[in-house]
Amino acid sequence: MTTDLTEAEIGLIREKIKEKYTGVAATGAGGCFRYPTGIDGLRKLGYPEDILRQFPPAVLELFCGVGNPFSLGPLYPGESVLDLGCGAGVDTFIAATMVGPRGRVVGLDVTPEMIAKARANLALTGLKNVAFDVGEAESLPFPNDSFDAVISNGVINLTVDKEKVLQEVHRVLKPGGRLMVADMVLMSALPEERAGRVENWFQ
Amino acid sequence: MGFHRAGLDRYTGFKTSPYTEGALFYGEKPVVENALEIIQAQTELVAEPAATPACEPGST
Repeated sequence: MTTDLTEAEIGLIREKIKEKYTGVAATGAGGCFRYPTGIDGLRKLGYPEDILRQFPPAVLELFCGVGNPFSLGPLYPGESVLDLGCGAGVDTFIAATMVGPRGRVVGLDVTPEMIAKARANLALTGLKNVAFDVGEAESLPFPNDSFDAVISNGVINLTVDKEKVLQEVHRVLKPGGRLMVADMVLMSALPEERAGRVENWFQ
Repeated sequence: MGFHRAGLDRYTGFKTSPYTEGALFYGEKPVVENALEIIQAQTELVAEPAATPACEPGST
């Protein structure tokens, strides 16, 4: 693992991230992020209105993404897709409409409460080609060569061992499969008083 | 192990803090694992001429 973090710090980071998203699942995204979430976030990130109109407003409320992975290329009818760190499932549902009834989409998230919310949202969509699972990005619970595409939105930056995540994504992708990621990157050095703080991971 | 055509596609201008920016990344898993190594091995075989001695040892 390419990190200077101690095991205790890694444990704290994972615990606090789960705690944050458990709270989001329970009470909503408002006030938890420094950027627009829900339908406002989706619009700001350029998700097409005709796609958003396909879903009940309640389904879109917990969107916390930081980009639009679908802007990187299409998903095709009949494909199998993994949404890595799916949260309440908005990107999962959008992917499911793209791959159609002959395709399938699996949403995976480390927070059980988010998966429970995603499953409740799934019932509102009426989609039949979606499944949700609890699991970690560093240890994907799928066989080799399972998916035509892996999408992820604002999640890999929260994982401690990014190299392991990419190895796992590579393993579960079929030959020719695509990785489509929207995420945040550090553009400049943090000020001295903030650099190296464990709290940076979950604030 | 490795993606090909992998890397940063573009920055998005989306800001979540003064220090971070949104970015899009794209990668593809090669259709044939170790394709590059296979091609290199085949190229080496073709490039290296067969070792045929000019004459038999001991001949004149």
